[in-house]
Amino acid sequence: MIGHTIGLVPAVLLAAAAIWAAPARTSPGNELVVGMSAAFSGASRGLGIELYRGSMAYFTEVNRQGGVHGRPIRILGYDDGYQPNAAVQNTLKLMLEDDVFLLFNYVGTPTVTRVLPLLKKYERLHFTLFFPFTGAQPHRELPYGPLAVNLRASYRQETRGLVDHFVDIGRARVAVFYQADAYGRSGWVGVREALSARGLRMAGEATYSRGTKFTESLDRQVAILQEAKPDVIISIGAYEACAAFIRDARKAGLDVPIANVSFVGSESLLALLQSASAADRRDYTTNLVNSQVVPSYEHTAAPVVREYRALMERHAPTPPAGFGTDYTPLPYSFVSLEGFLNAKLLVEVLTRLGPEPDRARLRTVVASLTNIELGMGAPVGFSADNNQGSDAIFYTTVRDGRFVPVTDWSEWRR
Amino acid sequence: MRIARLFQKTMFGIFLLFGIIALSTSALCVYTVDRQLSTEYVANSRTIAQTIANSSLDIILNRDLSTLQSLIDQFRELQGIRYIYIVDEHGDWLAHTFVPGIPKEILEGDRSPDGTVERRLPGFGEFVEVASPILDGIAGSVHVGMDKGLIALKIQTAIGQQIYLISIIFIVSIVGAYFLVNLAAHPITQLGGYTRMLAAPDAPTTLTADDARRLLERDDEVGQLARIARHLAHRAETPDSRP
Repeated sequence: MIGHTIGLVPAVLLAAAAIWAAPARTSPGNELVVGMSAAFSGASRGLGIELYRGSMAYFTEVNRQGGVHGRPIRILGYDDGYQPNAAVQNTLKLMLEDDVFLLFNYVGTPTVTRVLPLLKKYERLHFTLFFPFTGAQPHRELPYGPLAVNLRASYRQETRGLVDHFVDIGRARVAVFYQADAYGRSGWVGVREALSARGLRMAGEATYSRGTKFTESLDRQVAILQEAKPDVIISIGAYEACAAFIRDARKAGLDVPIANVSFVGSESLLALLQSASAADRRDYTTNLVNSQVVPSYEHTAAPVVREYRALMERHAPTPPAGFGTDYTPLPYSFVSLEGFLNAKLLVEVLTRLGPEPDRARLRTVVASLTNIELGMGAPVGFSADNNQGSDAIFYTTVRDGRFVPVTDWSEWRR
Repeated sequence: MRIARLFQKTMFGIFLLFGIIALSTSALCVYTVDRQLSTEYVANSRTIAQTIANSSLDIILNRDLSTLQSLIDQFRELQGIRYIYIVDEHGDWLAHTFVPGIPKEILEGDRSPDGTVERRLPGFGEFVEVASPILDGIAGSVHVGMDKGLIALKIQTAIGQQIYLISIIFIVSIVGAYFLVNLAAHPITQLGGYTRMLAAPDAPTTLTADDARRLLERDDEVGQLARIARHLAHRAETPDSRP
């Protein structure tokens, strides 16, 4: 009997070694579920879907390798159509019914600003909102700042950069085209403050309603801004409305540079303009400058970009179940790269949280993250007083049908 | 069936009466609803403006204006409110809900921090604008525009419902009146035919012998008149009965 048992020892050791060497086994019961409310339908669905896809490319790879401390990560996503009330309902469901571990990848300022008071209300449950896809201020400042963790730079930083660059080349009459809600106001404030810092005032402003489609006419907005005689227009909007505005502005002869901030969804904007260019036999893609908060996915010299492209190709993430049936996913985009970087940093946070994840410790762990090389151009870091990881802004323009880095602003010199 | 000429006037009278009722009640309705709704809307607007003014102070002083925008966007969803704007003590814009832009009439017009003004904004409509000062005006003011078109729509709806009700009553009354008028007109028509038959027995008539018998048997005024007519006709035919 003993001899038989001793004979089994090598087999048991081999089995143990195999288990140790193989990726940690995971089961649905111990998975880490992160809750996401975003636009998976409607005029801004491209943002929610691409952000989700970028994150899923990374999570799928992490799960394939055994998850975080043996726990796979799953995104539980609900569609809010970029509507604040739906975002509030989704958040309540995620926190109180689904009991997700944390909130992640929310899309939009009007939605996030309405969700923040919920986090405050249920502060005792220690929910934290990670990496919302918005550069607005409310979740960067008190009283809601401690409830959120941001990776991207703010709209104030983006708009200040745009204003500074354009004013420096003699384009001081800056007008703003913006979405009539909290998002638009956030960018509007950024432009106003940047101009004020240089002793300037806004040349004019025009607004549009959230959810405006590319097929709609924005001639009235164009007429208002034409009257203001701007040197440059900064758009704070989503891709369908911004593309429609660019199209109608160019048709009306308003050829000044038009700049968009990172939220716009650059590839979706460009695709709409290219289709309109082909239909109207004129080029609507000139004189565009888009600010980005992540590096270009064309910058393949960067290891993180290579990793992103490789995982997007390997896993070909699909849109969330039940959405995007008539949506063509983009191979690469600034939005999905941001989703990818969000996921990468979240995995770092969860790894440092340890094998027994505790929501209440999340913010302490985040505050301890310093000098993280995420591939954003500069190390990412947080502290007890700073809940924004990156200040990096990248400026791009359209060349040969794609967004490339701006290397020389003088081409727009007035 | 032809209505006796005597009763055509009655029917006309009913039409006229209903017309007067419909017009007078509609006018009263317009006046009452307009007054009540206008008063109520202005009161609501004032309450909303004051609420925003009170809650926006902390935001203006300590927070980002996107939070302020988010706040007014929520109030903008209330029925009847077409626009909200907030300006600081210098008249500089802090937040607003105008699309596609701030109307020139407001940009260039009076933006008193308190009180009520009526505005006609081309392309937008007609509004009652109520203002409320923030921190007694030293931090700016909130302005809430209520759509007068909505008041007109409510009045139209109220009048429409009233006219609908009156029309139903009118149709029922006409049918009832027609039936009743006919009930009275038929025996009188028969009485006329009977008297013509007595006066000229050889003339063609639609009155049958049974009709005449039933007419004479009636115990109402028509029956009495028929019997008197028969009696007079008999007396006229009897020579010794003449005076």
